[in-house]
Parts: sequence; C-alpha cells; structure tokens
Amino acid sequence: MNDQISPIVELRDISKRFPGVLALDNVSMNVLPGEIHAVVGENGAGKSTLMNILAGELQPDSGDIVFQGNRCAIPNPYVSQQMGISVVYQELALCPNLSIAENVSLSSASTSNALSFVKRRRFAVKAREVLSQLGITDIDPNRPISKLTVAEQQLVEIAKAISGQVKLLILDEPNSALTREETDNLFAILRQLRDSGVGMIYVSHRLEEALSLCDRITVLRDGKWIDTVAAANVTVDDLIAMMVGRAVDDLYQRATDATTHTQTIFELHDLRSGNALKGMSFALKAGEILGVAGLPGAGKDELVECCFGLRSYTGKIDIQGNAVSIHSPSEAIQLGLAFIPADRRASGALLVMDVKGNIVAANLPSVSKYGLMKQPAIRATSQKYVKELDIRIASLSQKMGTLSGGNQQKVILARGLATNPSVLILHEPTRGIDVGAKAEIYRILQDLAAEGVGVLIVSSELPELIGQCDRILVMHDGRITGQFTRDEAAEEPILACAMGQTTHF
Amino acid sequence: MTQQTSAVSYDKQRQTVTARLKKILLARETGVFVALILMCLFLWQATDAFLTVHNLLNVGRQISLLGIMAIGMTYVLIAREVDLSVGSIYALAGLIAGMLIVAQWNLWLAIVVGLMVGMGAGFANGALSTYGMLPSFITTLGMMSVARGAALVITNGRPVTINETAGADPKALETFYFLGQGYVFEKIPMQLVFFIAVAIIGTILLSRTVFGFRVYAVGGSDKAARVSGIKVFNTKIWTFVIMGFLSALAGILSLAFLPSGQAGRTGVGLELDVIAAAIVGGASLGGGEGTILGTILGVLIIGVLRNGLVLMHVSPFWQEIAIGAVIILAVGIDKWTNVRRRT
Repeated sequence: MNDQISPIVELRDISKRFPGVLALDNVSMNVLPGEIHAVVGENGAGKSTLMNILAGELQPDSGDIVFQGNRCAIPNPYVSQQMGISVVYQELALCPNLSIAENVSLSSASTSNALSFVKRRRFAVKAREVLSQLGITDIDPNRPISKLTVAEQQLVEIAKAISGQVKLLILDEPNSALTREETDNLFAILRQLRDSGVGMIYVSHRLEEALSLCDRITVLRDGKWIDTVAAANVTVDDLIAMMVGRAVDDLYQRATDATTHTQTIFELHDLRSGNALKGMSFALKAGEILGVAGLPGAGKDELVECCFGLRSYTGKIDIQGNAVSIHSPSEAIQLGLAFIPADRRASGALLVMDVKGNIVAANLPSVSKYGLMKQPAIRATSQKYVKELDIRIASLSQKMGTLSGGNQQKVILARGLATNPSVLILHEPTRGIDVGAKAEIYRILQDLAAEGVGVLIVSSELPELIGQCDRILVMHDGRITGQFTRDEAAEEPILACAMGQTTHF
Repeated sequence: MTQQTSAVSYDKQRQTVTARLKKILLARETGVFVALILMCLFLWQATDAFLTVHNLLNVGRQISLLGIMAIGMTYVLIAREVDLSVGSIYALAGLIAGMLIVAQWNLWLAIVVGLMVGMGAGFANGALSTYGMLPSFITTLGMMSVARGAALVITNGRPVTINETAGADPKALETFYFLGQGYVFEKIPMQLVFFIAVAIIGTILLSRTVFGFRVYAVGGSDKAARVSGIKVFNTKIWTFVIMGFLSALAGILSLAFLPSGQAGRTGVGLELDVIAAAIVGGASLGGGEGTILGTILGVLIIGVLRNGLVLMHVSPFWQEIAIGAVIILAVGIDKWTNVRRRT
C-alpha cells in the first residue's frame, strides 16, 4: 500500500546476532511519513533490538538502513538524533533534578559549546512552544520533573523527543504506566503528530490499543519478520496467533467454572492507613480468585503493602478466623501469606543471584539446618518448581538477570509458592510480560485456586481481572466503591466505580 | 531474551565437563588467580629470593592483618554498604587493649574488651546506616573521625608501648607477644594462623549459612529481600559488627607484633587498602557480588606485588604507583571483559 509515498526509513534484511542467539533474522520493514506503525511480538521477539539499531545503540551484522532514500549507517545515538530519529523509552530518561524546560532542551545542551552560557529564559520559551504544540498550555515549564506525575513526565519525554526536527519518532511502550484517560490524551497527541507528517514506530504489548491507534502493524516472532498488516484488516486474536505461532484460546477466560467457596481465610475489617486507605473491609475465601481494581492513587498499592506488613495500618486482619497483626513481611510469610510485588526488577527479583537462590529466598528455614544451607534441599525445591511452573532456564545456577520477564515472574511466583501459602497476593502479576507467559501464569493461578489457595489479584488491567476473577472489588479514594461477581463484571461499570461516579454492590 | 532454551539440562544438574570448565574459566576468581600466578612466575624468574619458604611465609605474615580485615569488608560490600572507619577502629581497639594490659588487667579480659569496642563501633555504624537512614559512607566517615579522636583522647596523643617497663605483667606479655610474633611448627607465623582461621570461618559463614545467603540477598536488592521476609536491617548491622570485630582483632594483633602504637598514626589510611583488596578480589561496590576466596586472592595480589617490588629494589614511591595501577587494572579488566559476557 501507499507505493507512491517514499518511506522515511526502510530496513532491509537486518540481522543481528548476540552470543548464543540470533536476535534479528533478515527483518525488513518500512515507515511512511504520517504513519503510526506498530511493532508487536512477545518478549525476545527482537523488538527492542530493532529499535536500538534505529537509535544507534546497536549495529546490525548485516542488512541496510535506508533513510529518506539514502543508504546510511547509524553508528551512535548522536548521529541518530541528527538524522531526526527520536526515541521515547519505556523507562523515562529524564533528569529528575532539572526542570521541564531544562529537560526539553537537554539535547541542545549536548551540542553547544560547554562554556557557553545557559540561556534558561530561552529554554522556557522553547519548552512552552513545544508543549503547546502538543496541546498542553497549563503547565509551568520551570517546575522540576520530580514534582510531576508519571503521565506528565511521559508528555515531557515526548516534548523532548519532538523538540528538534523529528522525522521518525519511536515510542517503546509509552503508556505502560498511564491510566486510560491519560492514554487517550496521549493517543490524541500522537495522532496530531501523525497528521503533521511525522512517522512513528509504536512498540507495545497492548494489542487493542495498537489496533486502534496504528495504521500498519508488523509482527515479529523469534527475531523473524512474520507479517506486516493493515490494522483495519486484523483482530487481536489474529495478532496473538501471529505472535505466538499458534492460537491462544480464551487468554482472558478462566477455564474451570468456579466452585462455591465457603471458608473465609483472609478478612479485613475497617483497614485504614494514613490518607490512602479509609476503611477497607472484605473477605477472601479459600479457592477464590478475588480481584481488586482501581485507578492509580485509589489506594491499591497501599492495600497490598498493609496486607504484607510493608506499611502500618489500623483495623483488624483475620487469617482463618484468627485475629493477627502483621508488622513485617517475615510475619506475613509465617502467617501463610505470599506476595508477588508489582515492580519485578526493583522489588521482586534478586537479579545478581541465581535462580535457585531466588526460589528459596522466602523459605530459608525449610532448606537449612542449624543455620547451614542444605544444597540438596535447595536443588530439590528449585527443581520441583522449575518443572511445575515450566520455567525455562539453562541451569539452576543461571543468574536471574539473564532471564526474560515472564520467566523472572515465574521464579518470583515459585518463591511465593515455596512457602506453601494459604493466601497468595499478586500485584500487577503480568505487567510487561508477553502473551504466552501471561496465559501460563493464569493457568497456574487457576490451579492454585482449585487446590484451595485464596488468590488476591490487584491489577490495573481490567481485562485480566474480568477474565480471571470470581469476584472483583473496585477501589476509589481508599474505599471500596463496587463489587462485581463474575457474571456482572464488565469494563464500563467497573470504570465508573473506579472513577467514583457510581457505586455497585 | 537470550535464554529461551527449553533445555531440560537443569534436571539433575548434570552439567557437561565443558560447561563446568567454562563456568570455572568465567568465574571472577579465575582471572585474579591467573594474574597472581603470572606475577609469581615472573618474580620467581626475576629474583632469587622470591620462591623461598622463608620469603613466602614472610609475605603470608605481612598480608595477614590486611587479609583479616578485607574478609570483613567483603561482607559489608556484598551487603551493598561500605565501611571507612576500619583503620580507626583498628587503632582504637588495639590501643585500648594495650593500655589495659599495661594496667595489668587480665590479658584475655583486655583482649575481649578491645574486641567489644570494635563490635560496638561496628554496631553503631550499622544501626545508623539502617535504622538511622544515613548512607554508610557518611556514618562510617564520621566514625572514622570519632574513633580516631577517641583513641587520641584516651592515650592523650602519646604513644602506647606494651612492655615490662611500662608496667605490664611479664607472664601476660609473653602470651600476648606470642599471639603477634609467635610461630607454630617453628615456621608458620601466628598472624597467618589467625588469617587462615578467619578465612575458613568466613568462607563457611558466607557460602554455607543462611546468614551468608541473606547477606547476598540484601545486597542484591534490599526491597526484594525484604519482601522475601528477610530482616534487611539486622542483616546489614551484623556485617558491620563482623567488620568491627575483625578490625579490632587485627588492631590487637598488630600491637602484639610491634608492641607500640600511637593514636595519631596507627592504621591511618588502612581502610583504602582493605577496600582495594576486597575489590580486586571481585567484591563489587554495587553489592551482591564477591567471595572470600576472591578477597584472599586480592589480598595475595597486593601482598605479592609489594613483596616483589621490594625484592626488585623498586623505590617505595614507585611501589605506590604500581599498586594503584594494579587496583584499577584488576577491576578494569573484569569490567571490560564483562561487557562481552553480558550481552
């Protein structure tokens, strides 16, 4: 399609080999001006490698890059920027100690003479100009980045990216931390940029959004180009099938029908904590999968922290009918709770440790005697979970940091399960995980519930909650504003409760 | 994205010989070990005196105190902290024990008091760096000055000499001197015996016990360790207490070897040698990484280098330059080769 328009950038037969893996295998694609082009694929499919090649961070082993009709090399990020390629990474790359204006002008600071005076006033003018181009007029460019919300930071990041003469804008999961409203706002801005003729590459795991936002979609799998399709002609299921190489049936559907749950194992009475929680009461039953939905700031984070002894609270917690108080994670573990934190890299994984160490870390008493670690017991426990959860590793001594996100998450899940919990609390259990691993984690959670474990999923992904949970609680401003059974659950009423517009019990 | 192999090789951990060999070759210790061997081979060829039992045992004694403290530092570094106060604690604990011996206290009691002072200072370092929410760089920088000052106060800035003239009990002195100057089997210096003992206990504690595991976990990610139910603060405090204990032990032994010390001079700048030895041996300032074996190799590199330079009649000024260059090279080579290992 669009043969008459010449592409901004064309990649021809790009290959890139890392030790032990062919990350890109003869991948070709192009981006037209005024197009948003999605690149989708599972983790490890080669998306980031491809983007890093365009950003000048990596050099392809073979293949050509044609930029505006000229064959060229992109030896480093500086050249990439000079050519008019800007990248917005998933992890924000702003200096939190500097102001919005200073951040927006950061790239100009890298080009001008080191001893020339900093023209702060001009920075502010420039920042205001760029921000208004994005339709943002109500923000003071002199505010420091550290005072902004994640969504605002994201916009500054984009402002920074388009502050030069941008021809190709690469967005790597730009909305993974944004709410729906913020995402809509972001997309409106991206469409506006598209209409001004900028070509964009949009990398995301959220396929629905890729379909609604983008013009064309390129699917990668295992470093190979699978297909480039017009967004209008495909469905989410088509994309998943292409990404995984097989159809994943009912990804978001709980397979077995929920049995009736009678025995309450975990109950909160009027839980309060600072300004974040204003009286939360609910009961989790054995064998139940209970979801907690809510927008950022509703108190979901604080709720899980209280439940696991990471935050002080007032109110009562009962576990299997006994009143308990939980002051620390070690107490929580002893009481039969297990917790899978949201931020995998920062608070979940012990990245420099090996896989077996990560699996037994929460369960040291059972793999030690008189304070000595029992290596055979460690191996046995780890192997058991590696097999049960189908964790893909080369050896138990492999460093955690070298695993893919999905496998890391399974290892962390194994750590929780190794303590034989009666209650499993998961916070954003599938954030940043590819489709295949997601489906496997859902299967594991269902098996656990079938065995009688109480599962509490706190998530901002509504389809996940609606598909997996027997019951969903909705939080708004530190309180429960809605409760939905499996049959009632649907996105719109849940969102209405989450925004505090209605209540539903 | 590299490790999607569905290989079932984890089963039984039946690693092939080549895989095992590869692991050994890639280990951080191997590089340091090879460097050490090359250095020894060179010195063996270049000098007559190097490869003699006498000289090697002499090197062993010279590195012992540094080694004892570097083992403590390994714990602290793995827990992602740092201790700058070790040289001052070394001086303070040694001088206190020495003064008590001169004051005719029971020898063992005097030594225990010295060790307790070290552990107390270590505890203060640890508590302030955890519950006190201060970075350990700051707390131990402060402690470096406080402990040094305390030593000056109690000695009034005068040198402390531990001999009969000063008033010490001759029998106690004999035992005390033996700890620092004596030999077992007529050849092996007592200091080296202490170093070996600390090394063995230190290795077992770090690599075989639950405590050692916790130290690695805490240094790897304190958040993840906390969520795993590990008491992060207590674990970190213990590493500082161990460090304080070993600094005090080294300080007391040094005074037993050369029975005179001065609060203003003893152990000044020692903290940098100690940190350097641990770092050369593979401990990382980023936490979570390091082994006792590596640290011992690091201590040996520094010790052998210094000995070799002396044997080759290199001026002491140039010795400092050489040692500095080796520290940078040792860590540099690891980083530069690591880049390839990780991608």
